[in-house]
Order: sequence, then structure tokens, then C-alpha cells
Amino acid sequence: MFNPLDHKGVPLDGQIRNWRELNVEPIDPEAVDPYTRCRIITMNGIEVEAINFQHQFARNCPDQEVRRQLAYVRYVESQQQRVVNWLLPGVASVLETTLGYEQVAVDLTAWVARHEPDPYLKQAYEFGVLEDFDHLYRYANLYEMVERRKAEKIVNGLTEVMPGRPTTQEHRHPFDEVRTPYDRNSVDPRSKLHALTILSAEQQVMFYYMNVGPQYMEPIARQLYQEISLIEQEHVTHYESLLDPGENWWERLLTHEYNECWLYYSFLQQESDPRIKAVWELHLQMELAHLQQAADLLRQHDGREPEEIVGTAGLPEPLTFEPNKDYLRHLLATQMDVTKLGEGYVREAHERFEWMQEQLHDGQKPPSEQVIDMHRERFGDEYRIETEGPHPVDTLRAQGGSHA
Amino acid sequence: MPDTDAPTTPGPEEDVVDLLLAQHAQIEQLFLLVIGSTGDTRRDAFDDLVKLLAAHETAEEEVVHPLARTLPGGGGDAMVDERLDEERQAKETLQTLIAGGVDADGFDTGIILLRDAVLLHARHEERYEFPHLRQRVPADRLRSLATAVRAAEATAPTRPHPSAQSAKGNLAAGPALAVIDRVRDAIRKPSES
Repeated sequence: MFNPLDHKGVPLDGQIRNWRELNVEPIDPEAVDPYTRCRIITMNGIEVEAINFQHQFARNCPDQEVRRQLAYVRYVESQQQRVVNWLLPGVASVLETTLGYEQVAVDLTAWVARHEPDPYLKQAYEFGVLEDFDHLYRYANLYEMVERRKAEKIVNGLTEVMPGRPTTQEHRHPFDEVRTPYDRNSVDPRSKLHALTILSAEQQVMFYYMNVGPQYMEPIARQLYQEISLIEQEHVTHYESLLDPGENWWERLLTHEYNECWLYYSFLQQESDPRIKAVWELHLQMELAHLQQAADLLRQHDGREPEEIVGTAGLPEPLTFEPNKDYLRHLLATQMDVTKLGEGYVREAHERFEWMQEQLHDGQKPPSEQVIDMHRERFGDEYRIETEGPHPVDTLRAQGGSHA
Repeated sequence: MPDTDAPTTPGPEEDVVDLLLAQHAQIEQLFLLVIGSTGDTRRDAFDDLVKLLAAHETAEEEVVHPLARTLPGGGGDAMVDERLDEERQAKETLQTLIAGGVDADGFDTGIILLRDAVLLHARHEERYEFPHLRQRVPADRLRSLATAVRAAEATAPTRPHPSAQSAKGNLAAGPALAVIDRVRDAIRKPSES
């Protein structure tokens, strides 16, 4: 398998791009492969995490020379983020991008859950994916109400749209969001990449919703973004707590760069749009040089070799955007009613869960329920895309069952 | 599968912005159909598109843009002029496509250009114009305008006559003209009272 540690990439001093190179042509929203949009959204989240992580590192680093090196690479990562996110077209609405974000959250998390070797970590992804799955359904209903368009336009039959774990049930006591971290010394290197990838994706969803939500005039849109952005913040807590807090800054930097190499390499393998593929290729070459720098810093300041952090096997199997319908239906049928208690998972509505529900809902229906009620009232039904038959959970089948 | 091909049934609460949004969605779907099909399917879809664009743009020129001109804080005349300019350019491309027909050499390229121009124009309206209407125009007025536009379109022919000659005219000819006139009459009556 491709081992990024064996490659030098593009020299760092050749990585600053000019205005012409930054001014990328966006994708055509009417003709794009939905998974190309997903790959763009994913890499945006990854680059945003790279920037924020390196800012935090710099704020905690007393060595001026290291701070200068971090500043340089951070500027390059920043240009990479601008290029990647500017591939999204101006004609797409905020809600269309939102539907793209949720399609990413569903199919990315489902893929990672299927490939995660550690059972406890796998459970964390299986748990989380059913919640994003539900968000996709809530936003799809909002989309038809606000823009009179159908989410099928965005997901294009690749991802089903129907209820997951109801958003109203996702508001748990923050204590119960905190998971047990993996052990940095014994964990499979793949697990480190999985956790960092999903953490980055969910963090970007949170940033996006908490910032764009108030731009809507429609009260239900403002409220739904507010509610789901609070869940996304809990997801960030959920996923970030999986990472071993004993990892030091040097090894975290190395893992970040290695993860970027894995993802650009993965997307390079499967990209259907040649123009976008060229971006993934270029960015992989740039990340290889960032990884070399991180490896040098690790050797100099931590006295360890990069292989001690990420292993000697090279990159894991490429992460792939592909339909996960059967897998998601299996999870819906078996894990819908799960909640969290302490660092584990339970099925009963325990006291702390009930307490949080009472504090927040206070006897009212949350926006995520109101949006479905309003859609039913206005259009006579709710919006779903059930390509593989009726909902696997009897109680969540569409009223009248006309959508299957 | 959900009813992806059926236009949304209008409810009593639907206002003119809802109606125009629904038409934007239909226009997007018709472009997809025209671009992705061949033969009679493409010809029929293109006829439907021409008719819908004619009715829709007329309604906007008669209702949305004049209203938007009068609103404070909406960017006023300059913004409306930009929208009208986009509409003029789109109409020129559309006329060329109608004149040549769906079998013409340049149709595949022309229809993409038209789609890009029309959808960009629609998004401009949705982002900069419609929110001002919703904010500044009384809700019952927006609802009554929706009724007027719907009534006009309901009496229009469901499809242009399949005469080979009609495709040789420009936008303001044949069935498309009938739609424009009906929409214009229906809209002007309540607004002049």
C-alpha cells in the first residue's frame, strides 16, 4: 500500500498559490456527482480542522522557530481550504449545501463504522450515524417548504431520506456525551484516522450550522438550525473524547498530516470529475511535504520515529463514498432506541436523560418535530426517499405508507 | 419514491413567492429532462419548458420586479434592472434555440448556456428579491397575486401546438404568446382595481 512517509511531495517553498490559482471554477450543481460534492465537503472539514489545530498548537508552543514553521504550513493549509470550499457553487443555497453536509455525515460515518476494527469505537460511529441520518430527513422537509425543491435533487438516490433516531431524543445530558478514549499505544493506527476524520467532519457541520442558521428569515428554519447545531456540538464532544488526550502535540500534528494524505489519496482513487481529481492530486503532493515536516519535528522534539505513531503498513484501505443503504437499515432496525449513560450505551430512558429532556423541551415540541408537522400540514404528507422499501421500524413508517 | 415529477399542489396559504419558487423547481427539472433526453421526449420537454418560462417570466416582469422597485432597502432600481437584463439575455438565447429546434447542431451547447443563465437568474431572485417581498409586502396581497397568476396559467394550453411552423417563430409567437397575454391580463386586473 502507498506509504506517504516514503514520498517528498512538492517542496514547501513552491506551495504558495497566486490569485489565478486560487480562483477555482466551482462544480456545476445541476450535473455534479453527489459524491463529488461529498468529497469536497469532507476535505473542507479536514482542512478547517488542520487550520484550527495548528492555531491551537502555536498558542501552546514556546519555540519561536517551530511557531514560524507552523505559521507557514498553516498558511498553505489555509489556501488549500479556500480552494476546496470555493469549489462549491454560489448558485447553491445554504440548505442545499446543508443537505450535502448531512449526506456526508451519513455515508462517511457509515463507511467508517463498517471499517472500524475496534468494537467500542465502531459502536460510537454506529450510534452517531443514526442521528445525522435523522437530520437529513428533517432538513429535506424544511428544504421543500422553504425552497419548494426536493432533496432528491441533492442526494440523487444514493442515500435514503427517512427518520433515524428522532432528533428530539438526541438531546442528552452533556456528561453522557463523553466517551472512553482509545489507548494511543495499543490502538490500530486506522482507528486514529477514523476518529480524526469523523471529528473534523462533525466539527465543520457544527461551525456551518451555528453560523448560517440566523441568515434565514423563516422562523422554522432559524429554529431548526439552532436545534441541530446544538446536537452537532454534542457530536463533537462524542467523537473528540474518543481520541487519547495523552497524545502530545508533535504526534497529533503528525497524525493530522498523515490523515490528510490518506483522504486526498483515497479521493484521488475514486474521483469521477477529472478537474476535481487534479485538485486532490495536487493537494496530496502538498500534504506529503507537510507530513515530512511533521515527521522531522517529531524526531527533533519528541525523539520518536513517525512509524511509532502511524505504523509501518502505509495507508489503510481508501475511504470510499458509496451507498450504505442496507447497513443503515440494519442499524435502524437494531439500534434506534439506544441512548448513552456514562461512557456506555443503554436502552432505558434513565434519570439523567429524562432530566435533560425536561430542561430543554419544557413540555414543547422541538423545531425538529414542528418542521415535520408543518410539512404535513402544508403538503399533506412528509418528505421521504425510501428506495429500498418501507421503513425498517414499524412505528416510523410513513402515515399511509404511500412513499415506499 | 416520492412524487418527484408532480408539481406541488398549491394550498390556500401559498403566496406568489411560493408559487414562483415551485416554478423555479419545475424549470430546473425540465432543464434536466431536456438535457438528458432525446427525440420526442426531448421535444415535448422543451415545449413544456418554453411555455413555462414564458408564463413565469411574464409573471415576474408584471408582478415581482415592479413591486421590488417600490420597496425600500431592496437595492431598488439597479437590482431590478440587472434582473431584467438577465431576462433579456436569456430570451435571446431561447429565441435562437426555438428557431433552430431541438435537432439543430448547436442545441446541446445552447441549452446548457440557457440553463446556466436562467438558474443563475432564479437564484438571484431568491436571494435578493423574494426576501424583500416577503418582508415588506402584506401577506394577503402576496396571496392574492398567487391566485391571479395561477388562474391565468390554468386557462393556458397545456402544451404548445405540435405544429412544425410554430417552432420557427420567436418567443412572442403562437402558444407562448397566448400564455403571456393571459398571465398579463389576470395580473393587471386586480392590481389596477
